[in-house]
Amino acid sequence: MGTLYSEIPSWMHRLPAGLKLLLLALSSMALLVLSDLRIQALAFAAIALLYASLGAASRPTRRLVVVALIASALVGGLHAATGQPWLGLASGLRLVSTTMLGAMLTATTRFGDLLGVAEWLLSPLARLGLPVERLALQLGLMLRFAEQFFVQWQRLADAYRVRTGRSGGWRLLAPLTIHMLITARNVADALAIRLKL
Amino acid sequence: MTTEHRTETRAQRIAMVALFAALLAAFGMIPKIDLPLGVPITAQTLGVMLAGCMLGARMGFQAMVLFLAAVALGLPLLSGGRGGMGVFFLPSAGYLVSYPVAAAVAGLVMRALTGGGPSSPARLAGCAFAASVVGGIVVVHAFGVVGLMLLAKLSFVQAAVGTLVFVPGDLVKCVLVALIVHTVARGLPDWRFGGRHL
Amino acid sequence: MTFFLAQTDSTAGIRLSDVHLRRGAQAVFQGLSLHLTQRRIGLIGDNGAGKTSLFRLLCGLEHAHQGSVQVAGCDVQRQREQLPGVVGLMFQNPDDQIIFPTVEEELGLSLQYRGIARKAAIVQAQQFLAARGLADWAPRAVSGLSQGQRQQVCFLAMLMAAPQVMLLDEPFASLDLPGQARLARELVVAPAQVIISTHVLDHVRHFERVLWLDQGQVRSDGPGATVCAAYEADVQDRIAQQLDAVPTSSTTAGAQ
Repeated sequence: MGTLYSEIPSWMHRLPAGLKLLLLALSSMALLVLSDLRIQALAFAAIALLYASLGAASRPTRRLVVVALIASALVGGLHAATGQPWLGLASGLRLVSTTMLGAMLTATTRFGDLLGVAEWLLSPLARLGLPVERLALQLGLMLRFAEQFFVQWQRLADAYRVRTGRSGGWRLLAPLTIHMLITARNVADALAIRLKL
Repeated sequence: MTTEHRTETRAQRIAMVALFAALLAAFGMIPKIDLPLGVPITAQTLGVMLAGCMLGARMGFQAMVLFLAAVALGLPLLSGGRGGMGVFFLPSAGYLVSYPVAAAVAGLVMRALTGGGPSSPARLAGCAFAASVVGGIVVVHAFGVVGLMLLAKLSFVQAAVGTLVFVPGDLVKCVLVALIVHTVARGLPDWRFGGRHL
Repeated sequence: MTFFLAQTDSTAGIRLSDVHLRRGAQAVFQGLSLHLTQRRIGLIGDNGAGKTSLFRLLCGLEHAHQGSVQVAGCDVQRQREQLPGVVGLMFQNPDDQIIFPTVEEELGLSLQYRGIARKAAIVQAQQFLAARGLADWAPRAVSGLSQGQRQQVCFLAMLMAAPQVMLLDEPFASLDLPGQARLARELVVAPAQVIISTHVLDHVRHFERVLWLDQGQVRSDGPGATVCAAYEADVQDRIAQQLDAVPTSSTTAGAQ
């Protein structure tokens, strides 16, 4: 599984994760609230410049921005067709602006660092008894299972092909689910042994 | 409940929530299928419906929250390899945010229809279909429409028409869920759908 | 919270007292009593004899409805929270027990029960790997390792937790010869009490004590060479009887 984080360094990589997250939250809230077209246009220009300044570091997230551009074109066209072109333009600009902000955060911040910020933000809840450390555990386990899914699918597909000469396709989804459920039960046993839960 | 039993149950819950979040991530990596007329089916809401039917409301909800948390933290788990905070600003964000609620509703419907106890595989499959339609289609599209209205400033009519295009594909997914539930019920006879056993 | 290894003398070992275990409607153990203090113990027997059930019992995964199970002075059923530092179990299939996608995270998890924070645990895991000449394994994805390597990760994870008792369920089954040799060498120097369940009798033949489990009962219990030989002879007899009972056109001579 790839990652959207870019190994190519940029000036934004050096900023602390928490700061970037805070700026993202504030600026996206501002954009969502302020609907004036001129503000949206100015913001878009500024954000686009920032995004471009990342250079090659923005590459993993460019697909997302393209999706946003297409979506905003559709939205803009729709609004124009119903006689509200300025609303369409403002909405479209906002859409791309906020997406670019999110993309910049994702491309320049390590998953582990963001996770650290998330755990820090949730730590007050830990004092209320909520198992916050478990977030990292569940995320790791989730990724592990996602990998195992495809490994297991490949094994079943191979077995099916050998025995029937054909590709299994969607037929394998149900047996695969059973396999994964059994694996999860076994992994749960391993968890019960190794961890203080 | 004895201490040992609690530890095992907690471990089972952790593993199951992680598993169904992983299934969603895995389904996101399966390439889209295009029905005739170019309507895309992405497999992800299939995972949402499954989580609700198989885990029940509470764990299904948790699994979806875990998945969204992973996406927010920057993992490319959505169809097309999308991820990061940016996706929550797209017009489709309403659909995303619906996942936990959709799974919870599907779980509640499943529990209500099956009574939480054992049933025949055929009956479970039928209940799963109904639960998937209510949770996986009605809730998801309701949130999706609201999202489109808020984020893309579409009118209700525009949003509703736009969203209805995906319903046929979603119905296919509901059938798939029913089939999967049917097979799992036969392969793991002690599995309690709707989440009463954990 | 500092963690102390339980202040028991390790000769306290494992003690089962009149253990009755049921699985569903079936009785697995009826009045099993054992006192295991030897450093290296083998567990052999047919599949379904109860070897895995015994291991699960020792880890607290199964609950005896009668009798008591003590591991290194710790009551398995009543002192659950202390178990991760006391006993470790390695399943046969590494994919059934690996929890994290990278090696360093997986090893780091072994320190969680001591209250060590995740990041610090990962650093310790990296040091642990480096000390064994496996520093480059740390960031690697588990899915990119071969099965034997994944099995090794499971073993390393158990070593990191440093339990007093290590249970290995058919650890040699999917290892190639070098892998088996490597594991056998590791087990020679491991500081914990080790119990191995295996079908490859040569690995336990030299053990101080081997238990032959048959339908939930200890059929033989003694020095490795003796018990293994007895089990092998029994298997030969049974197979011979089964083959003799089947009418064939050409009887296999020399079955007995």
